[in-house]
Amino acid sequence: MTATLQKKICMLGAFSVGKTSLVKRFVESIFSETYLTTVGVKIDKKIIDLSDRIVNLILWDLAGEDDISSLRMSYLRGSAGYVLVADGTRPSTLEVAVSLRRRVEADLGPLPFVLLLNKNDLREQWAIRDEEVEELQGSGWWVQSTSARTGEGVEAAFRTLADRVAR
Amino acid sequence: MVSTSTAASLEWLVGPFSDDPGIDRKALAGLLVELARNVEPQFRAEPNGVYPIDPRLEQLRTLLVGREIEVLRRLSEIVEDPEQLAVAVGRILPTAIAQVSNDAQLGQVLAPALEKATQSSIRSDPRTLVNILYPLIVPAIRKSIGETIDETFQSLNESLKHSLTLRGLRWRWEAWRTGTSFAEVVLRHTLVYQVEHVFLIHRHTGLLISHVAAEDAVGQDPQLVSSMLVAIQDFVRDSFSGAEQQGLDTVRLGELWLWSEPGPFATLVAVIRGNPPEGLHESLRTVLSRIHDERPHALESFDGDSSSFADVEAHLRECAAFGQRTPRSAERGFPWLVALTGLVLLALAGVGGLRWWQNERAWEHEQQLQEAKQQIWDGYVARLRAQPGIVVTEVGRRDGKFVVAGLRDPLAVDPQLVLRQAGIDPTGVISRWKPYQGLDPEFVLKRLQASLDPPPTVTLMVEGDHIVAQGSAASTWIERARIAGRRLPAGGPGLDLSRLHDINEGAIGKLSEAIRSHDIHFNFNESLPAPGQDAILDQLAKELTDLASLASSLHVTARVMLTGHSDDAGNGTFNLSLSLARAEAVRALLKKRGVDPDLLAVRGAGQLEPLETASSEAARSANRRVSFKVGIEEQ
Repeated sequence: MTATLQKKICMLGAFSVGKTSLVKRFVESIFSETYLTTVGVKIDKKIIDLSDRIVNLILWDLAGEDDISSLRMSYLRGSAGYVLVADGTRPSTLEVAVSLRRRVEADLGPLPFVLLLNKNDLREQWAIRDEEVEELQGSGWWVQSTSARTGEGVEAAFRTLADRVAR
Repeated sequence: MVSTSTAASLEWLVGPFSDDPGIDRKALAGLLVELARNVEPQFRAEPNGVYPIDPRLEQLRTLLVGREIEVLRRLSEIVEDPEQLAVAVGRILPTAIAQVSNDAQLGQVLAPALEKATQSSIRSDPRTLVNILYPLIVPAIRKSIGETIDETFQSLNESLKHSLTLRGLRWRWEAWRTGTSFAEVVLRHTLVYQVEHVFLIHRHTGLLISHVAAEDAVGQDPQLVSSMLVAIQDFVRDSFSGAEQQGLDTVRLGELWLWSEPGPFATLVAVIRGNPPEGLHESLRTVLSRIHDERPHALESFDGDSSSFADVEAHLRECAAFGQRTPRSAERGFPWLVALTGLVLLALAGVGGLRWWQNERAWEHEQQLQEAKQQIWDGYVARLRAQPGIVVTEVGRRDGKFVVAGLRDPLAVDPQLVLRQAGIDPTGVISRWKPYQGLDPEFVLKRLQASLDPPPTVTLMVEGDHIVAQGSAASTWIERARIAGRRLPAGGPGLDLSRLHDINEGAIGKLSEAIRSHDIHFNFNESLPAPGQDAILDQLAKELTDLASLASSLHVTARVMLTGHSDDAGNGTFNLSLSLARAEAVRALLKKRGVDPDLLAVRGAGQLEPLETASSEAARSANRRVSFKVGIEEQ
């Protein structure tokens, strides 16, 4: 067993924002996606090699729900940080992300998190205004636009999060 | 220290006096002047000259009670400052409580506060109390589980006790050989299992603290597995509200078992292949409990850095070592074992059969023996019943012994003798006999024979219901027999003496009559018989000798009394000795003729028993004689 640091990270987002396919290429996974629909969570692992240590992000991919009240809060327990995912082509998913963040912070307190604005390869369908993003960044959010198709921004987002939770 | 503090106090006292209204200095000065006048009446000073404020008085006061003032000041400072007071009270509180700990009131006062504190602690975070109680509760639960397991073992043992399968017999043999209980051996063989993975998972984060796998076990990334396990447990807990506090303890997936043992901060999860025994729960819990005992704080504050938990691995490795493999010998020696077992079984069956047959035979033999014994016994009892003077009142068996009881005439046959004659072991018989007198003619006869001691010439016998005496006896015996016959119990057999002859009436009577008829005559004043009487003496001697031999043959004693007589002439005394001398002379003459002198007794009658009472010479001559008298007596 390697003496590495482990951190629990939850991935939250509205339904079909592409959370699962976003991380698929970058993580080690042993469980099928059926867990998401049955148990409501799927565990993956992302190994980040920081200069001084290795951080294993244990990713709890929570089933996407538009109705955040149905979120299983017990899955969030013990998280070191979280990833919010929104679909850049659907503004409602950003709203869900914002309310999710509020909900999580109420339960777990302030934790490092990152907002991934997915599907940035679909620029022509992009529906979120830059002002909105800037506003979020202004209130301390760290926003990263990503593409599940190209894998753009994903690795960087995880690396930054790992650096912040391991600090 | 004292000097400096005193100096400081002096400054305080000597300084401004306006806010020290404690002392009326004028009154004090007056008092001092009064004191001085008492000592020295000529003292003329007036208190009027004293200033109300006089530094010297203050100096005096400081000198006298300066230290006390300082102490009081410090105390009042402490009492008035809540913080300082709390510190001071806190310093003595443990001692104070210890002092009154025996007082029941303290408990009553503190109880409500403690209850409230506990309630609020539980409300804010129940886990605190759970963590406190964990070391207490877990051993109690463990004990209860242990007892349940014991019960299971027992019932298993019972259920298998009567299973006479080939395998069961083999295990019995193994249990006997190794000195362990049968149930243990059964479990050892049936519960073949192997702990393949052991996970120690942080409860709060679901992160893996440590993981150990068995040598040949294959498995996925343990970090992912452990988190997924926690997720599934959370899922179950959330989905089924009834199981709020319980997680998923046991999961079965075909051949795989997943056992989860929760602790306060970490959960131990074991993946087991096969059929684990219930006791493994206990073993896992013990290991988990040990880990918690060793590293409670590190577990509680675990933040994903498992590098400090390297030593926990040793504990987990212990769990992974748990397992029970199929004994190899069973596989390798299979045909031999079966063959051997078969042979042993055959031999056992043969021996068993033989034993059974022998037992049957022995049983039959025993039965026959018992029957024979009973027959002999019955014969004995029948013989006893037939015996006169024995009344059998009870026959039976008790404690494997024969019992016979009843009445027995002391003259009856000895039952022990009959027992020996019947060939019965007297130690196997309990006999109880009470004595009684039987009226059987035989016993009456026996008793008569014992008491009458009949002479050989008499025969006593039973004839019908009578005792009959036959033969001849002396009349004295006949008289005794008659008295005894009259004393016999009424209703019983009587004594018939009618056929008994008095010997005096027979030959001996005739002989006695002949002897009595003789007289030996004497001349006047002579002690020897008159001449011419030798023939009579010869005749007498012959008859006396015959009497002696006849008496002897009749078992009686004959006595002959020779009485000498004299005539009435002369002195009576002289006549008496003369008559005795005459009898002695005749005895001597008879002795000379071969008569046993013991047969003859002599006496002198003098002139007192005359034959003729007339006073003639003829009468006197007839009276000078020796006469004979015969007595027949029993021997």
